[in-house]
Amino acid sequence: MDCVQFREIYHELDRPGTSGFIFRERALAHAEACAGCGALLTDGEALDFALRNLAQQRDGSVASPRVEAALLREFQRVKHVGQQRRIYRQLAILSTAAVILLALGLGVHYRIVSKARNTPPQVASTVVKPAAETPVISATPASPNSSKAALASNTQSKPASVNPPDDNEYAEEFVPLPYADDPAALEGGAIVRVTLPRSALASFGLPLTESDGTDRVAADLVVSQDGTPQAIRLVSQATPNSEF
Amino acid sequence: MKTETELIDDGLLLRRMLAGDEDSFTFLYRRRHPAIYRFALHMSGNVALAEDVTQEVFMTLIRDAKKFDPARGTLSGFLFGIARNHLRRRWEQDRHSTALPNDADELDTLLAVCAGAGKGSHSNGNGNGRGPFLVSRDEFASLETVGRVRQAIGTLPQNYREAVILCELEEMSYEEAAAALNCPVGTVRSRLHRARALLAEKLHDEQPLRRASAVGG
Repeated sequence: MDCVQFREIYHELDRPGTSGFIFRERALAHAEACAGCGALLTDGEALDFALRNLAQQRDGSVASPRVEAALLREFQRVKHVGQQRRIYRQLAILSTAAVILLALGLGVHYRIVSKARNTPPQVASTVVKPAAETPVISATPASPNSSKAALASNTQSKPASVNPPDDNEYAEEFVPLPYADDPAALEGGAIVRVTLPRSALASFGLPLTESDGTDRVAADLVVSQDGTPQAIRLVSQATPNSEF
Repeated sequence: MKTETELIDDGLLLRRMLAGDEDSFTFLYRRRHPAIYRFALHMSGNVALAEDVTQEVFMTLIRDAKKFDPARGTLSGFLFGIARNHLRRRWEQDRHSTALPNDADELDTLLAVCAGAGKGSHSNGNGNGRGPFLVSRDEFASLETVGRVRQAIGTLPQNYREAVILCELEEMSYEEAAAALNCPVGTVRSRLHRARALLAEKLHDEQPLRRASAVGG
């Protein structure tokens, strides 16, 4: 070992894990042989001694109890704030989840309601196929009091197709309504079977028939292409029609 | 024989502390704060400043414990790093470096020694005078040397001072000191080497002057 190598390691001869500790014996042997390095070693050992004394002097030094007290107060404060933040965070998460669920629920409800509104009502086929027979309209016009509104409010249409009076029915001739169009324009129209209150017959200019125990009568309406009733005829049932 | 609590490592105490366990924090503080306090005291030479730095270090631990990464080093190194940063900030604010020997206790001891030597004492035949306030000549020399060493450390550049305090006074390994100082091991080694050379030079330069004054009077 030479002086350069000695000067690099002499300050850590007693420090485990260092090159000075590993080559300690060689360094000590060199110091015995070299006066300059020997003096360095002596100074280093004196410094080590002084540093150890200084370290021992401070060995039991601790901060005053007020420091610990202040730190414990801060610890409790931070802990309390942390707990509050956790609670607020949980509330925020729950609130957000509730809002999302509510929004989803309202959205689904709105879609269901919208679909229900947009679906056209099932129109039981009230108006129907074109007249199976050419309506015969009598020359006697209906009463001027008859009106489309009365017709609309007092009639009930018979669903399904309208057939000519069968063997159980007796139909009179068609009586044109006051606002009826030119009979020649009825081609392509339809005959609609309706039931009317007996009292409505007068509004159509028809005589009240003898009551057969029911307060409604069956009638056939001739309806033009635009849906306007043009003529009416009574249909008498051989057996009471319980349909309406 | 160590108690069960003393066997718990810093990592477990820290996790319990983060979970809100006050006792774990207290134990961790009592275990680690003396070294931090001594480091701050050696660096600043001021008891009040050392206590303030110690308090700030552990306040930072309470508020930002999650910043500690066990993969990057020990908790002790982490705390020393915080202490170092706080000391630097304080010095930046104060714009002065406090010299070391402001320890009132040390001064009182030296004064008491001087007073005792002046009063005289009965000898025990071995030349070692003893009295109520008198210490032996060796003890006096030791106290004096310690004082001079402390003064000399206070005059070192900050980087060298840190290396001496951590490696020599706190007896840290190069690796632990490197983690605390956030620098390579080789840097710590070279700083320590240079610091010791400067200390030895200062102490050596003072000796001829002291011998001359002793001879003179």
